[in-house]
Amino acid sequence: MIAQIFFSFLLSSVLLYAWTEYRKSPVVAILSFVVASAGLYFVWVPSDSTRLAEFVGIGRGVDFILYTWIGISLIVILNLHLKLRTQLELITVLARTIALADLRVRPATADGDPLRAGAPTAGAKSVQIES
Amino acid sequence: MEFGPHPNLWIVCAAYNEARTIAGVVSELRHAGYQAVVVDDGSNDGTRHLAAAAGANVVTHPINLGQGAALQTGMEYALAQGADVIVTFDADGQHRVSDIARLVEALGHEQADFALGSRFLGQTYNLPWLRRWVLRAATVFTRLTTGLSLTDSHNGLRALTRRGACAIRLRQNRMAHASEIVSEIARSRLPYVEVPVTIEYTAYSLAKGQRLGDSVMILLDLFARELHR
Repeated sequence: MIAQIFFSFLLSSVLLYAWTEYRKSPVVAILSFVVASAGLYFVWVPSDSTRLAEFVGIGRGVDFILYTWIGISLIVILNLHLKLRTQLELITVLARTIALADLRVRPATADGDPLRAGAPTAGAKSVQIES
Repeated sequence: MEFGPHPNLWIVCAAYNEARTIAGVVSELRHAGYQAVVVDDGSNDGTRHLAAAAGANVVTHPINLGQGAALQTGMEYALAQGADVIVTFDADGQHRVSDIARLVEALGHEQADFALGSRFLGQTYNLPWLRRWVLRAATVFTRLTTGLSLTDSHNGLRALTRRGACAIRLRQNRMAHASEIVSEIARSRLPYVEVPVTIEYTAYSLAKGQRLGDSVMILLDLFARELHR
């Protein structure tokens, strides 16, 4: 029962993830939804996984293997997500550095500069941006 | 709180495709005498040109990164300009310029480093009931996770002293930054105060705002942040 609740929680998280990702990447969302739904079904109806195992010629241990596979898959997905976050943070720092560095190469005064960047408005202290 | 009677005050507006409202917002800020920096988050509708024409300093992200990333860029820019006080202000026109002075005054009176606007202590116009419910739930969630007793944890109108701005670092690029700011305030242990403000929703600002599905994504982002510090 504890394992069922634990895996149900994990698989429900995948369903939520699929829902939120649908607009950005529908294929990934649909695949995640199908796999998570199947996982939830087999978690709560293990007899069907056994029947399926017997049908394809594999013993009862397959449900344990199935659970393990689901757990490992979720961990791999989480790991990939964290790696993507790391990459995104690096890209953010890079983009921010470019955006601020772009101001340093503009003229020091606002005259003739349509974006006024790098030129503090009236009353501002004139401070150079340091890298 | 370390600033004199006439602090070097900068207003930071994060803007992504806000061509409809940005000129009006910047004009109002400039008319009130405030210095504004608009961080154009990779817009493709001419937002940065409209903001500059209205009198703002403009920093442009080469790609769209999200509101949290834009606010962090704006704060870094303002700090580099020697800002004593930084105010974050939404670009969609839902905030009132008159509330800025109240936030800055509160920093001085309460000896605080963060003055956080609260629509539930102040007033809201045209706030849908579902969004009110989600905002209340977010406030309870923030209270449970940070221990800060706030009435409105997701208000984009806030003022920070230089010390406060230096003490926080936003890593959540997207909408989870609002919760992250509160979390960072709690972690910094610097004093904060809530100030009643007025938020006026329009059809435009509601369409630009968060959806219910976004709140799920915010929770996932915050969970991932805890795993990946």
